[in-house]
Amino acid sequence: MMYVFGGLLIASFIKQKDVLFSKKRNLILFVLLSAIGIALGAINMIRPYIPSIAFSLEKYFK
Amino acid sequence: MSEQLTMRQIVYMYLFISLSQILRQIPSALANEAGRSGYLSPFWSVLVILPLVLVILHIIRSFPGLNIYEIMLHLTGKIIAKFILILYMLWIFLFLSAKINIYSLTLQFTLMPKTRNDFFMQIMLILVFYALYKGEKTIFRFSEISLGPIILVIGVLFVCALTRLRTDYLLPVSTINLPQTVKASKYVITVGGNMIIALFFADRLGISLTKNQVRKLWLGALIFIVLSFIITVFTFGITGASLTAKLPFPFYITVKSISFFNIFERFEVVVTLICILSDFITICIMFLILMKLIRWLFALEDKWFLFVPLAMIIYYLSYLVSSTQFEHDFIYKYVIVNANIIFQYIIPLLLGVICLLKRKHIKKPY
Repeated sequence: MMYVFGGLLIASFIKQKDVLFSKKRNLILFVLLSAIGIALGAINMIRPYIPSIAFSLEKYFK
Repeated sequence: MSEQLTMRQIVYMYLFISLSQILRQIPSALANEAGRSGYLSPFWSVLVILPLVLVILHIIRSFPGLNIYEIMLHLTGKIIAKFILILYMLWIFLFLSAKINIYSLTLQFTLMPKTRNDFFMQIMLILVFYALYKGEKTIFRFSEISLGPIILVIGVLFVCALTRLRTDYLLPVSTINLPQTVKASKYVITVGGNMIIALFFADRLGISLTKNQVRKLWLGALIFIVLSFIITVFTFGITGASLTAKLPFPFYITVKSISFFNIFERFEVVVTLICILSDFITICIMFLILMKLIRWLFALEDKWFLFVPLAMIIYYLSYLVSSTQFEHDFIYKYVIVNANIIFQYIIPLLLGVICLLKRKHIKKPY
């Protein structure tokens, strides 16, 4: 799914490049959000069974 | 003019997005917290939901034609307004991730237990993209058109279920349980607070609110409370409070025992479909609100380029937030319910109070 999202990001970038390059903040925001998404995807790929936030919170409360 | 929304569309949207939680989370949570008398909790929620409606109307009347960000700019200034926007964004990220998760868990529980949940999420994101591409007016019109038939279907189910209702599952209610019903009402309040979507789309409502529009908002809140009560009564009355407390989707099990004059059965598929449609529209609306928040925060003119990165974040966040039904129930009970109360009641109430204090200094834009 990571590769699908990667492809979609590239397609979105190509399709919206006029909008992205019209203002610096558009590009920065797009790159920042994409980086966060890719980081989360990488975490999911490398460690798919990482304890979730709910699991960690439950353990902390107990 | 074509981007204008009506109060009717806002109210229908509010009821539509609340439907899945009314069918799924509310009966289970009320049974867990208050046992057999949990069906009285929707009445206690009147004391909180109706004041929320009053606050929303007061804010909209004080700042006609403005949305919540523009209102906050007037009331609190730019820095605090942007800080509150960031908090709302984090809340919506959490809400959306949990919503996508529960939607896929519902489909696995009801119809397709062997299908992987990432398949459901991918299909949902494609549908959400298509719906957003068609425009927000289309989403509001869809809920406007669909809600009527859905309420009719629920009405037919109730008529068919009347003979199966067991009063011994509902009565007697002792006064010892009443404090627990008050405490349990927070699970109804947390869903009733969806009314604040009116503030996010208040700039599309026009310059002034007519008496008819105000009446619709009040009626919407009352219909929500009545619907919560009826669904809970029927779930408890047929399935029983102790079993309802243990199920993730108790109304689905309740409907399994209902038939239409012993001819038509298997209404549980229809109930699952209603839940899925409600989840779909909720995800669309929350996605719209999230993109609006980012647009306001960064003063963007266009927001469409945000969809793919946001979809990616929410997709992977849904795995990180909770991955099983038990984890979702935990995070719903201890995090989402309390976060909803803060963002749907406390912040709008604070805005309403500031609005009241500053009313002499407010210059209406129109």
